[in-house]
Amino acid sequence: MATATSRRETLLNILAPVIGFLAAIVILLIIVVIVGETPGNAIRAIIRIAFGNPSRTATIISTAIPLYIAGIAVAFAFQAGVFNIGVEGQYFVGGLVGAMAGIYLRLPPVIHIPVVVLAAMLGGALWATVPALLKVGRGVHEVITTIMFNNIAIYLMNYLVNKPLSGIETGESLEPQTRAIAETALFGRLNGFFQALGWRIGNHVYLDYSLIVALVFGIVTWIVIYKLRFGFEVRSIGEAIDVSRYAGIRVKRVQISAFLVSGALAGLIGLQEIFAIRGFYSYQIAAGLGFDGIAIALIGLNNPLGIVFSALLFSFLRQAGYGLQLYTSVPNSVSWVITGLMIIIIVVTNELMSRYVRNLRKKEVGV
Amino acid sequence: MPLLRMENITKVFPGVVANDAVSFDLQAGEVHALVGENGAGKTTLMKILYGLYSPDEGGVFINDELTSINGPRDAIDKGIGMVHQHFMLVPVFSVLDNVILGEERSRITRAATEGGGDRGVAQKVLERVYLNKTDARARLTDLMERNQLSVDLDRPVRELPVGVQQRVEILKILYRGAQVLVFDEPTAVLTPQQVDGLFTTFKELKAQGKGIIFISHKLDEVLQVADRITVIRRGKVVETMAREGATKARIAELMVGKPVLLKVDNPPAEPGEEVLRVEHVTAQDDRGATVVSDLSLTVRAGEVVGIAGVEGNGQTELVRLIAEKEKLVSGDILLSGESIAAWDVRERREAGIAHIPEDRQRFGLLLPFTLADNMVLGRHHQAPFVGAFQWRNMRAVREFARVAIEEYDIRTPGETTPAHALSGGNQQKLIIAREMSADPRLLLASQPTRGVDIGATEFIYRQIVEAKVQGRAVLLVSADLDEILSLSDRILVMYKGQIVHEVSRSEATIEEIGFYMMGAGDGDGDQ
Repeated sequence: MATATSRRETLLNILAPVIGFLAAIVILLIIVVIVGETPGNAIRAIIRIAFGNPSRTATIISTAIPLYIAGIAVAFAFQAGVFNIGVEGQYFVGGLVGAMAGIYLRLPPVIHIPVVVLAAMLGGALWATVPALLKVGRGVHEVITTIMFNNIAIYLMNYLVNKPLSGIETGESLEPQTRAIAETALFGRLNGFFQALGWRIGNHVYLDYSLIVALVFGIVTWIVIYKLRFGFEVRSIGEAIDVSRYAGIRVKRVQISAFLVSGALAGLIGLQEIFAIRGFYSYQIAAGLGFDGIAIALIGLNNPLGIVFSALLFSFLRQAGYGLQLYTSVPNSVSWVITGLMIIIIVVTNELMSRYVRNLRKKEVGV
Repeated sequence: MPLLRMENITKVFPGVVANDAVSFDLQAGEVHALVGENGAGKTTLMKILYGLYSPDEGGVFINDELTSINGPRDAIDKGIGMVHQHFMLVPVFSVLDNVILGEERSRITRAATEGGGDRGVAQKVLERVYLNKTDARARLTDLMERNQLSVDLDRPVRELPVGVQQRVEILKILYRGAQVLVFDEPTAVLTPQQVDGLFTTFKELKAQGKGIIFISHKLDEVLQVADRITVIRRGKVVETMAREGATKARIAELMVGKPVLLKVDNPPAEPGEEVLRVEHVTAQDDRGATVVSDLSLTVRAGEVVGIAGVEGNGQTELVRLIAEKEKLVSGDILLSGESIAAWDVRERREAGIAHIPEDRQRFGLLLPFTLADNMVLGRHHQAPFVGAFQWRNMRAVREFARVAIEEYDIRTPGETTPAHALSGGNQQKLIIAREMSADPRLLLASQPTRGVDIGATEFIYRQIVEAKVQGRAVLLVSADLDEILSLSDRILVMYKGQIVHEVSRSEATIEEIGFYMMGAGDGDGDQ
């Protein structure tokens, strides 16, 4: 009986995002009709932008990479009951520390690339340190501190790329940005590899080393959360802090660690943009990924495996928005509305389903 | 004509018949006790009455009229009120605010506007927005007088003792016009004196023609206060009997289907070396009030030391001082001669302290986690539950849980069932299994049988005696005097953070202990 309920639970967990997605599509089509397009045109536009050719599908995967990393960064802290709203600031700082290691260190590529990855993680963790210590030591709520640290990070980065770390003085750039990152630290692309496998994607798509970083850290994070003792303690604290304390789990130590791990993962978010796309660190680096990560973690149920799907879903909807803009008269902003609606529908469906499963369990033992 | 009649109620959940053609009725002016083990179907029946479930078959008749009840709000409107085991009060609100909460618009404004007359739009709006507490206060004062339930209406609820908070709950449902009052284990949190007060209230309510459904595990109380007793087992009514002629042994037998020894076979202690020594310990709570005051005690191997006392006299804090790293103002705590005051929980657990916490759901269990995960919690970091690289060995965890499920007779479909799906008694068995299997030197047991059915209680009693016989030191804290008297070798009475009395089991009487629990008659004992 236990297994029957477990199986049903797994099925329902998968069903919730599907329902959310379908409901979002239905709402999208209603909006499309209101705007004055035919649903058929809209669907064709979306299919064309998403699956029109292999490169377009690959683009969805490419934009999902930073979204995925943001998702697991937020999720790791969530698992420990820590609301790390500071992933945004942590990736700004992590990205810059990584870029510094890329610009100023002279190393062969095989060493240089792992070093910049570690440097970025270090920077992210560093930016999480003060909020973590304030939370555990002084009881200052992390939502407040991390939001403030986000602002500090943004302006600090702006200052640094304008003044001390600017590439302007060295004549490399007139924009507020750093000098160019050394060749040895740049992320190459895996397009050739995929083409060799017979996937006919273009050379312009960024399927670069950050895809490997995302996969490796996704797997590692999953193992840590579900297979290692540390993850058990993290989940235990996230579930019931009093129970964990009574059981002798060193709550403060685990929460600090989880917070820092979350920050370190956040440091990886900017890798693709900095090391594969731009080749330098700029004040124009994409903002908002940290906040996207919150929604992505939520929909992925804080599970690194679930987050694969939620990140791809986010990426798909974003591309769909471009498709609508490009091929129909529906504005791109509709895709943001749909994303928001979808989040709410999925969260509500998840809650309803977990209640249903809880009732099933009760019946199973006959209370 | 009965006030309430539930006829042939059947409620089936997949795999289990929670209520099987249950019939139950309540006359005006009677106390009808509903007794049965956890999981027998009492809760389901009451949830149907309260409109939380709808029955598959059968019906609820109020004043002989078939009625369907759609949710608690509807139940209240139809004159059914419930005093829950865990009070539903807002701690920072005053008594008055708590009582009118949720009723503030519909009735008060109605009462205020009954005077009629011409009212302008502005006045009508004002009446809907402005809280008119004067009428509520008058109605409540009247209710308190009629029922002899006096409470200071302006005190915040959190400042009130539990017994008084319960009075607020009763006032709340009377204020809403309840004719049928359901009490779900109302005495679990009360002192003997407070219980007497509650039963006096029952009499007042009866005299006014209200009907009371009294759910309890305490058979002495049931026999003392009920007019009729209905025993329910495995979803069926086994018997409804008048109090006259009913005996404790008979009811207990009907409840569990086999005779239960409520008095455990408890051999005299053979105390060995001293395990726990608490030396002149003083501690304060967050607000700086002294909660444990210059308290000393010892527990030796092979004895059960029971701490009796009204809840809120520092027992909770005392246990926490021993189990957890809490700030001491002065004094020391020693385990086998070694000071543990500076140790954290993990060090204390590893040194052999096991703890059955008083609130198992809040402190004892990770409810959504599997039974197996809960079974190793606290030792999840030790071999064989982790291997190389701190990798959890789930096979060992599950195997360990399977053995414990068998040994401790935990009723569950399997070790991967989440803890929240277990009944209260089985949750408590799970905690006891976990704590005992750690082979502790010292067992701290706080309210170990609270909210647990008779079958599980008996099992827990046997486990505590067994722990003693195995040479463990046991410190038992309980609000249940019967429990203290049947299990302890020495009894300490705690009052206002101090041990005010010590007596051996053979010399102890309930009256004497009750006397010291109230502060040895120093005047303000009765709340």
